[in-house]
Formats: sequence, C-alpha cells, structure tokens
Amino acid sequence: MDFFLQQCINGLTLGGFYALIALGYTMVFGVIQLINFAHGEFFAAGGYMGVILLSFCASMGFLETHPLLCLGGSMLLAMGYCAMLAMAVEKIAYMPLRRASRLSMLLSALGMSIFLQNGLMLTQGVYSKSYPTVFTNKVLHLGNVSISYMQIMTLALTAGLLVGLNALVFRTRIGTAMRATAQDKVMSALVGINANRVISMTFAIGAGLAAAAGIMVGMYYGTVRYDMGFVPGIKAFAAAVLGGIGNITGAMLGGLIIGLVEIFAAAYISGEYKDVFAFIILIAMLYFRPTGIMGENVDDTRV
Amino acid sequence: MQRIITKALVLSALCVLLISGTAVAKTLKIGTLSPITGPYAADGNDIKNGAVIAAEIFQQKGLLKGFDKIEVVSEDSACDPRQAVAAANKLLSQGVAFVDGAYCSSATIPSSEVLNEGPIPMITPASTNPDVTLRGLKYMWRMCGIDAHQSKSAVEFMAKVLKAKTVFIIDDKTTYSQHLAEYVAEAAKAAGIQVLAHDHVNEGDMDFSAVLTKIKQANPDVFYMSLQNSAAGIPFIKQLRQAGVKAQVLSQDAVYHPQFIEKAHDAAQGVYFTFGFIDDTTEMYKTFLKAYTAKVGGQPGGYAFYSFDAAWTMLTAVSKAGSTDPEKIRAEMMKMDMPGVTKRIKFDQNGDSGSNYIIQVVKGDKFVNYYDPSTGKFY
Amino acid sequence: MTLEYKKIFQKWALGLAWFYLLLWPLMGITPDGLSFAPSLKVWATVAAGTAFFLFIWILKQQGRLDFFSRPAISLGRSVGKAVGALPNKLLAVAAIAALCLPPLFAGRYVLDVSINVMIYVCLGLGLNIVVGLCGLLDLGYIAFYGVGAYTYALLSINYAVPFWLCLPVAAGMAAIAGCIIGYPTLRMRGDYLAIVTLGFGEIVRLILNNWMELTNGPNGILGINAPGVWWPNWADGFTLEHIWLKKLPYLYYVILGLALFTILAVHRLNYSRIGRAWEAIREDETAAELMGVNTFRLKLLAYAMGAVFGGLAGAFFAARMRFVSPNSFLFIESAMVLSMVVLGGMASIPGIILGTLALIALPEFFRDFEQYRMLAFGGAMTIMMLFRPKGLWPAKRLGQRSEESQ
Repeated sequence: MDFFLQQCINGLTLGGFYALIALGYTMVFGVIQLINFAHGEFFAAGGYMGVILLSFCASMGFLETHPLLCLGGSMLLAMGYCAMLAMAVEKIAYMPLRRASRLSMLLSALGMSIFLQNGLMLTQGVYSKSYPTVFTNKVLHLGNVSISYMQIMTLALTAGLLVGLNALVFRTRIGTAMRATAQDKVMSALVGINANRVISMTFAIGAGLAAAAGIMVGMYYGTVRYDMGFVPGIKAFAAAVLGGIGNITGAMLGGLIIGLVEIFAAAYISGEYKDVFAFIILIAMLYFRPTGIMGENVDDTRV
Repeated sequence: MQRIITKALVLSALCVLLISGTAVAKTLKIGTLSPITGPYAADGNDIKNGAVIAAEIFQQKGLLKGFDKIEVVSEDSACDPRQAVAAANKLLSQGVAFVDGAYCSSATIPSSEVLNEGPIPMITPASTNPDVTLRGLKYMWRMCGIDAHQSKSAVEFMAKVLKAKTVFIIDDKTTYSQHLAEYVAEAAKAAGIQVLAHDHVNEGDMDFSAVLTKIKQANPDVFYMSLQNSAAGIPFIKQLRQAGVKAQVLSQDAVYHPQFIEKAHDAAQGVYFTFGFIDDTTEMYKTFLKAYTAKVGGQPGGYAFYSFDAAWTMLTAVSKAGSTDPEKIRAEMMKMDMPGVTKRIKFDQNGDSGSNYIIQVVKGDKFVNYYDPSTGKFY
Repeated sequence: MTLEYKKIFQKWALGLAWFYLLLWPLMGITPDGLSFAPSLKVWATVAAGTAFFLFIWILKQQGRLDFFSRPAISLGRSVGKAVGALPNKLLAVAAIAALCLPPLFAGRYVLDVSINVMIYVCLGLGLNIVVGLCGLLDLGYIAFYGVGAYTYALLSINYAVPFWLCLPVAAGMAAIAGCIIGYPTLRMRGDYLAIVTLGFGEIVRLILNNWMELTNGPNGILGINAPGVWWPNWADGFTLEHIWLKKLPYLYYVILGLALFTILAVHRLNYSRIGRAWEAIREDETAAELMGVNTFRLKLLAYAMGAVFGGLAGAFFAARMRFVSPNSFLFIESAMVLSMVVLGGMASIPGIILGTLALIALPEFFRDFEQYRMLAFGGAMTIMMLFRPKGLWPAKRLGQRSEESQ
C-alpha cells in the first residue's frame, strides 16, 4: 500500500509536468492547428534560463539571503524569456506560412526545433547543467510514504499555474479573444479581434507555462540538458491529444494520465516497456473515443 | 611589355615554390568519428578532444617520424549507423591514416566494415559490444576494456569489500550498459550475491522515481548503476539520494566523468566506480592533463582518456612504421607494449587491449584510487 | 517606395534587437558575472549576414540584378522548352543512362550518399502514398522500414534466405504491419492519427530494442548477407558463379533498380483508379464516400501500399549495412521522411526526389561546419519552407484537404 501511494505521488508529479507542457501544445493547436514541434525546446530553454539566473543569483550571494525572491524572479524572467522566444519563432517561422498547408508549418516547426536544440547546445555547452540547491531537500514522512518539499512545491505551483491559466482564458478579455479566434477566425476578425496579436499571445502564454515546467523539472531532477525537451515534448503531445486536442481541461487530464500510466507501468510491469504501455493506453483510449477523453472543441472551452 | 612578362614569370616562379614548399611538408591526416551533434554530443566531443590533444602532444614532443605535422579530421557520426557509414566513407576518401572512433557500437560496427575494406585501421575508444572485435576484422582495435573484466572486478569488490548479500542492478538499455549489467548479474550470482532485480530505464529518461521507489522497497546492500554516460548518471544519483536509498552505489567507466562530481557534488560522494588504474604520477598523465585543461578546460572524462590513449597508440604505430601502410601499422600495433594513461597498452589477437580495472571512489572534488581487486589491496 | 524600405529597415532593426535580447541571456549571464563581448560578436556576425542578404534583396527589388537574372531565367525557360519538346520516353532513357554512370567515376563517399538518397527516395515515395495521395498524416512511417530491415536480417542470419527472395517477404510483412497500424486509426482524423501513428512507430522501436531473444536488443543483428547473384563466368567454360554484391557500385545498381521500380509503381498507382480514389479521399472524404468510394478499404490499402515500399527499402538497408540496430529507426527519421515529402511537394514524384536530395545531401554538405552542422540544417529546413511553402516542385493536382477548409 505504501508502495502504491508513493508511486501515486511520483506519477502525479511527473503528470503535472506533462500537463504544463501539454497546455502549450493544446493552446497553439487550438488557435492555428499546428503541432508545434518546437514547443519542447521552449521547455528546455526555460530550464536553462532558470539555471543561468539561479546560478547568477547564487554567485552574487542573493540565493542564500532571499531564496524565494530569487526563485520567483528567475521564474518570471525565464517565463518572459521563453514568451519572447516563442513570439520570435512564431513571427519568423509560422506567420508567413499561415495560408500554406498545415504540413508546411509542421515542417517549419521541425526545422525550428532542430535549430533551437542545437542553438542551446552551442551556447550552453554539451555537458548538462546543474541547479544550485535552492531549498534543502527535506522530506516529509507520512508512515512509509515520503514526500519531498520539492514535490509539494512542484504540485502546488503546477496547480496554481493551471488555475491561473483557467482564469486567464475564461475571465479576461484576451482569453475571450483567444477562444473566439480558435472558434472562428473570420468571424472574430469581423468583430475587431486582432488575430496576429492573439496568436502571438497564445504562443507567449504556452511557452511561459513550458518555461515554468522547465524550471521545476530542473529543480526537481537536479539537472538540465540541451536535448531534454524532445522526449517530454512527445509525451506532452500525446497527453494533449489524449485529453482532446484544443481542450484545456483535457490537456491537464491527459498529462496526469500519461504520467501515472508511465510510473505504474515502470513500477508494476517493467521499466523498459513503460513507454509502450503509455502509447498502448493512448491508442486504446483513442480507438474508443476518437476525439480524446474530453472531446475536441465540445463547447467554447477551446483555445 | 618585357617587364610585365618578367614580373609574371617571377610571380609564377614564386607561386610554384610556395606550392611545392607546402607539398614538401608531409602531413599526416588522422580521423576521428564520434557524435558531435545530437544527444551524445558530450561524449563525442570528449573523444574528439582526446584525439586532438594526443596529436598535439605527440607532435610537440617530436615523436612524429616520417611526417612533418598532424592534421585531425573530425567527422560527426550522430550515433546513427547511416550517417556513420557516410562519414567513414568521407574519411576514406580524404585519405586519413587511421580513425579514432566511433562511440555507439551501432555506429562502430557498420563503419568499421567500410574502413576495413579501405583498408584503414580503426580503433574504438568507447564501443564495448564484443562483436566489434570478434568479427575477425584485420584492422580493428579497441582501447576500452571489455565487460567480462569490468564485471569481475565489480563483483569481487562487492563481495569482498562491501560484503554485499544483495544487489539491485539497473541499466538504460544501451548496448554497453545492458551488456555489462548482464555480466554483473551473472558474476554476482556465481559469487553468491543475491540479485534482487535487474531493472531497466530508457535512455533519455529524466524521471527515475518509479524505479527508485522499487529500490528503496527492495533495500539492497549494493545498487549497481550501469548507464550510458554521466549525463544520465547525474540526475539518477541526485534523485537516488533524494529518495533516501541507503544502499552503497557502484557504477562503471561510462559514467566516470569529472562532470559527475562537479554537477552532483554532494550526492556523488562515496559513489564507487570501476575504472582503469590511472597512475597520476606519470609524465604522460601530467602532460595530458595540462594540455587538456589548457585547451578544453576542466577535467577530462572517461572517454577522453580512452580516446587519448587510442590516438596516441595509433600515432606511435604510424611513427614506428614510418608510413601509413595499414599492413605495417598492423604489425606495429600487434607488437605494441607500452604504458598509456589508462592502462598498459598491449593487444591480443582480436585487437582487444588488456584491462586493469580498479575501484575508485568519489571523495570531495576528485576520484580517488580505492581498491585493487587483482591484488586485494587498498590504496 | 522609400516608405516601404523604411518599414523594412525598421522591421530588420527590430528583429535584430529582439534577437540580441534572446541571445544575450544565454551567452552573457554567467556565474562569474555579466559579459557582453561574446554575445555581441555572434550578434554582429548575424547582423552583417542578414544585412548582406537584405542588400541583395533590395537590389533585386529595384531591378539592378536584371542584367544577370533576366538572361538566366530566359535561358532556363528555353532549355526547359527544348527539353519539354523531346519525347518523354527519350528523356527517361537519357535520365536512366545518366544515373547508371556515377559508379564508373564517382568516389566512395559520393556513391554512399547517393545510395542513401535512393533509399530515402523509396521511403519518401512510399510515405507519399499515405500522406500525399490519401491525405493521412503518418508520423510513424519508419516502423515499416524497421519491419522490412529486421525481416530480412532475421531470415538471413537464421535461415540464410537469399536477399531477392526476402524482398517480397519483407514487403509483405511491412504490409501486414501497415494493416495492423491502419485498422484502429481509420476512425480518426488529422492529428489524432498523427499521434497514434507516432505511438505505433515508438512501440515498434521499443519492441525491437527490448525483445532480446528475437532482435538481440540494442546490440543489433550482425552478419547479414549482402545481395547475391549468379554471374556467368566465361573464364573456364561456362559456369554460373555466385558472388556477393558487397561493393558500393553493385549496391548502387541494386538500389537504383529498386528506386526506379518504386518511382514507376507509385506513378502508375497515382494515375490508376485507386490513385484517383485516394485523391478523392484526400480532398473530401465524405464526398468520396457518397460517390461510392469504399473509404475503409482504400485507406487500409494506402497504409499497406505505403508500407510495402518502406519494407523494400528496409530490406535493402539491412543488406547494405549488413547490420541493423534499433538506432536506425528513431522518431526523428519518421519526421525526416515526412519532411522530404512536404518539402518536395506532396503527391509530386519529382518533387519528393528533389526533397530527398535536399534533406540527405544538406547534412552531408554541412559536414565541414562540424558541431554547427545540425544548426545550419534546422535553419535551412525552415528557410526552404518559407521560400517554397508549397514544396520545391508542387504537384499539379492538389486541392485543400477537407479538414483544412473548415
């Protein structure tokens, strides 16, 4: 039982990361119907910005005196950085192709993904980078189940970001504009919504969430690598589709499911086949519900 | 008019002189083949740097006979069989004397077939698949040790020093890590150590929590960590300490890298490694270390050591042979018996070099020689 | 006119400023403090490079390059016309004859790269049936390549079955795999299809990597036979001598044959009843069904036919490398093959050949950049797509897919 609970916690943490990355996929897909292969690279860039800024703080000595300020500041800056990066990528590589076939955009995204990954490798070096220890790795023991403070913080931050995103999409003007653009581009343009701006914002928000995930992954697992975006990118893409692509609640659910399946497959069946089980679950689920768990574009929740 | 012609004549004469002057300088071209882009770029660059530095020192020391200078041609294998073969063909057409590489066995095996057709001698600093040398290729050598020796040292250490009753083994499903882990499992069983489990993770994974929870529950005496490189080892050891696994940790030479200590400093303390005995008092070791720190910065990793030794051995053979004739190089290689940085270099019929695995341990900022299984003595 | 240029320059300056903001944090913030010199150096190089291209572009807009480009274009046109006037059959014969020549003079490296190109031509054309003709997005195509390669590898080392006999077997196995993958995906559309095919591709690779007893896992399979032929030996009377086609020139001719077969087959399929039906499904599935096209069977057939060519290429790949390992069948390879189809121009056979040439030759061409190689490649991919969004050589008949026009 303890074993099971512990694995649940492991799965939820991993699933939370996938959910954060999947949100960016799903939002971008909702607005311009593009599978943004470069999204995993935004996640990696976020992780790197986090390590750069936190190491800088640590060398200045701020990290020990104001850990929360440093962490919060780094996270905001990294999110801003990735938002800028995503907007630049969108303007250069996707905007000119908006009228072309969707597959042309997909190819452009793949090119950008290779470019950014190698850009990270060249500027940051081939060796992995290590996060400075922000908080001591204290562990909370509940019986035989142990939760680290890092895990609690990660879960809390993930939940907070998800709630914040929901509020942004459903309560604010820009959120409404995003939903309108996702539903009908022509109609929303007619009522005076600037599609270019909305698309830029969508990329920025999605990349910001990916950056937050990148920092948390970096802190939780301890290191970042230039190619760390690729595998989680694919998993998050699977999560987004599993939940019903374009559907925000679906993406969160999908992320959690993929995370849990992966952990339980590794725990109870076999580590080497865990990805096989994740994909089998995905395929089985899609066979019975071809538009994902929550369904695609069911109401106005699509972004 | 006359003057113009004279000038032209003089100029062209100068040109001819210059060209012939450069042609007289005999250049020895050597090749490296390793993944310098893609997920294994860190190890690939280590291999490339090891060879470049070997060439530099070799030349500086005036050991080069029959040639005036060395030029290193580095090709990218990207760890992909297809691209590795293309790169091998390119090296062939560029007329290199030998090739130091490749990294992944799946790149080494097909590219070695191409190079042996050439024929161009090839020496791998990193591929441990037994088939690399067991195929009867005439011009194939291996600098790194083989799994059978390393696993023997590892298990002896577990049984005699750590007095282990149980072991939990993990690998990341690459040719190297998995093969070695299997050997260790077999040897452990033979030595009376109970193998609690032999589990796997996938390369490229970042989350090891599921398997770490398993290890914690199994509570082994020793945890044997067989991974492809230090980049996988760093997050693993960090998470392992965080999960509160109490077992002693033993790892192998692919994870052996100064980056491992630098990036996982506190978590890395007390981790044991099987690695070749490095005598840090020898002249050669000091020169290598100095050149490496000056050129690349930091400390060299396991593959840089092996690649340095590989290139150095080949350069010695070429120099002794005085030509790039593969037949002559082969003859010299087979006669080779000299001290290297990682081991005493001597090859058997298959082209495998001997091994002298010892146990090193992470202490502070350094790997420290700890125990020699062949003599049973501590350092 | 000047106002327009002012706008362009403003955009250029803004872009460069933005680029510096993105570059500096990566290069300038280090634990040792802030530095500007290295990032400024890179930035200045990029600024100079873009300025140069902007300058060329402006010259072209102003017509200053006409003295060069006009004659070049008209020359190109007249050559095109002259070639077009020749009968098609003559052209084809000339092209094949030209393709037969390289082994006579080209070096090993060139031959090796051309063999790779032709392998990927087979793959690209096979995927073209699924993506280009039938309009089903497939991100796991490399799985069929893997199935073909392992089929031949296993038959060869376990039962020493000759290559030529294995070709149809490998194709058949791949077709079966295609049906298995195709069946559950038939209800799905667009991106659901993409992730499911991606999932199948990964499952196949993971099984190859983990099923030790069958595939030897990550160690791969060694000692696969090269294709062999019976060759008449005239030296001492007439005897048939069995030789292995291990040398690159022989392999070149084998894959040339396979590629020509693939080109011919896909061309014939494209213009057959089946091809029209596929295109009907691509353009509008519902309408196609109403017109009496059996979409279920035809989509399954598209998967199977696409897989056949992947399987053929895979069997050749195994025979050519004489070694297979799961490392050759990563997701990125699927993405590369898809890129060849899209970059070349969907459903266009000459386009796909061009696309393959570009995407295989470019990484080789960039080899001298060493570790900058893939950076250049990624950038080149995006830039090519920006300049030719419909592909290098778009197909004549191609509408919008029904899903896109919504």
